[in-house]
Amino acid sequence: MPTGLADVLHDASVLHRFVDFIGEYCRQQKRSQTYVGSAAVFFQYVEQLAAGIQDELRREMERATRGTPRLSTLRRNMRTYRGYLRLLHALIKPAADAHSLTIPGPLVDLASQQLQKVDGMTGSRLLILLTTEFIYFQRPHTDVKGQARKVEEFIPGASFPPKLGFIEIPYSQGPSFFTNLAIYHEIGHFVYEELSNRNPPHAGFRSLALVKDRCLKGTFNRRSLVHTGTHNAIRAGRNRQALALAERMLENWTQEIFCDLFALRLIEPAFSFALIEMIGMLGVSPTQLLRFDPDHPAPACRFAQHVKLLQDDSWWSEIQGLQAEQRQFLQESASIPTRRYQFFVDENHRGPRRLLDAFVTDLTPAIRELVCQLTSRAAPSVERFRRTRSDIQGSFRAGVVPLTDTSDRRDPVCIINAAFCFYLTAVPDVIKRFERAGNENNVTVHCEWKDRVEMWTMKGIEDSQVMQRYKDVRRNGPF
Amino acid sequence: MPMALQDRAQYLSLALFAQKVVSALTEYVDENRRAKLKPSLSEALESLSRLDAKRPIVLPHGRLAALTSYEHLRTVEEVWSAKERSDAIKMIRVLLRSASRDREAKPTAEKLIDLFSKLQDQALWNFEQPRPVSPKVMQRLCQLA
Repeated sequence: MPTGLADVLHDASVLHRFVDFIGEYCRQQKRSQTYVGSAAVFFQYVEQLAAGIQDELRREMERATRGTPRLSTLRRNMRTYRGYLRLLHALIKPAADAHSLTIPGPLVDLASQQLQKVDGMTGSRLLILLTTEFIYFQRPHTDVKGQARKVEEFIPGASFPPKLGFIEIPYSQGPSFFTNLAIYHEIGHFVYEELSNRNPPHAGFRSLALVKDRCLKGTFNRRSLVHTGTHNAIRAGRNRQALALAERMLENWTQEIFCDLFALRLIEPAFSFALIEMIGMLGVSPTQLLRFDPDHPAPACRFAQHVKLLQDDSWWSEIQGLQAEQRQFLQESASIPTRRYQFFVDENHRGPRRLLDAFVTDLTPAIRELVCQLTSRAAPSVERFRRTRSDIQGSFRAGVVPLTDTSDRRDPVCIINAAFCFYLTAVPDVIKRFERAGNENNVTVHCEWKDRVEMWTMKGIEDSQVMQRYKDVRRNGPF
Repeated sequence: MPMALQDRAQYLSLALFAQKVVSALTEYVDENRRAKLKPSLSEALESLSRLDAKRPIVLPHGRLAALTSYEHLRTVEEVWSAKERSDAIKMIRVLLRSASRDREAKPTAEKLIDLFSKLQDQALWNFEQPRPVSPKVMQRLCQLA
């Protein structure tokens, strides 16, 4: 055997066994579980990729055996495929775990339906991942998709499914309802990535990119970026990297605010409440509330943007009187002057203040405008909420699922918002009414009733979806 | 805390970019096939020229372009000197202009294969052993604004 061929053969067999396992794992999952969303499409891709890599390995081994002098190139390419498979490996198990018994199916269905109505997102699909992380992470799935496109040039049989969004749910929150409303933020990331990276980009995102560009150019002194000659080569290199970091930070903040506002337009104030519940569970100190970091804008800035949009959409007046600390928290966050925001690049070092100011002053209005362009007008839903809120809450008060009829009066988003307001304020009253005296402060009893409100809400949404399907069938042809 | 695998993906995308260039060059040198040469080298030339512009250019949609992210730039700076970068640009231009039977072209292509293989190696190394953002770069960011 020629020198080096044994090493190539070893690497090839390790990779072959790896792809063989993950291909078979995906086939097994498809056979043994039922999935909401597009897990089957994703598993199919992994199977095709596994088969394609095995074919490529066979071809490469034939070349190696014929005596190619490029054995180190072959080994390097195998390392690259292995790296890409490691990325997919991190997604496959969470996707397999998110079968229909572990996730809130009606909510995922509702979100998928709403997504189809967003300008440019028709035909998109959601892949749910059940993650071990506690928070609903922003995952840069665009990178995986970008790499999938490059891998496809080498493995032509494996095309990454188009318009596929990855939505992660913490496994402990799978069965709950209200905290899972945070998935709408994740859907915002999907929409942002799809529309801003498509070719050509969506016109609204192109305009937003120009504003971002102006912010960066205005923030950084261009003259200081120019360095020529050997002596300054290191400094010029650092400048390039620093500017790339600044661009990423601005992009991260922009996406976070976009996703929050996008989620708000789809499920309205219920999203703000869900986010506050999540942040409450994670624990945010008064200092952290004001802090921008390289990945996220300060929570106070996020909530100030929530309140602005809720006010513009006439939702704020509907929830202003809510006697709940979540509403109060929103209001207090919104009233914090922006000059109190801080920007730290790590635990101890302040970042450039001018970048933060440019973001707050110039970019946030542009993001709000873009979100409003992409999503439907909020006024009709405020009106529906105003009309149906007390009926829906009356059902909860009586301990039953909100009724669904053939009118549009009880659309799912109304049910969610009425239910969340009820969940935040009225559970003690229901406990008093249905439970025996002395149970008002019993944690277990509180949990049971909160679970019930969530289950009734989920059932109400499921019923309204069934009703919607019935209406669609009636409208589209003989029943 | 170790850097999340997803956050390291940028290094992998650079490795794939380099692999694409090496693959096109290898096909040309070993099998005399030029089909992939022009698209791959043009993309590489565009990315490298952008990198060596007198003034850094902010790209509105830089995330998907090669050699624009911090990880890409860091890796290139680590593995290539300024001279090697400018040599790479010159060699790509020579290859793009050359005819298929040009005798000078293949040795030039071999040199480019070496350069891009080094880049792929370093990108894979950084993917497997990533380090946090350099404090000097972070410091520079704060000074620049």
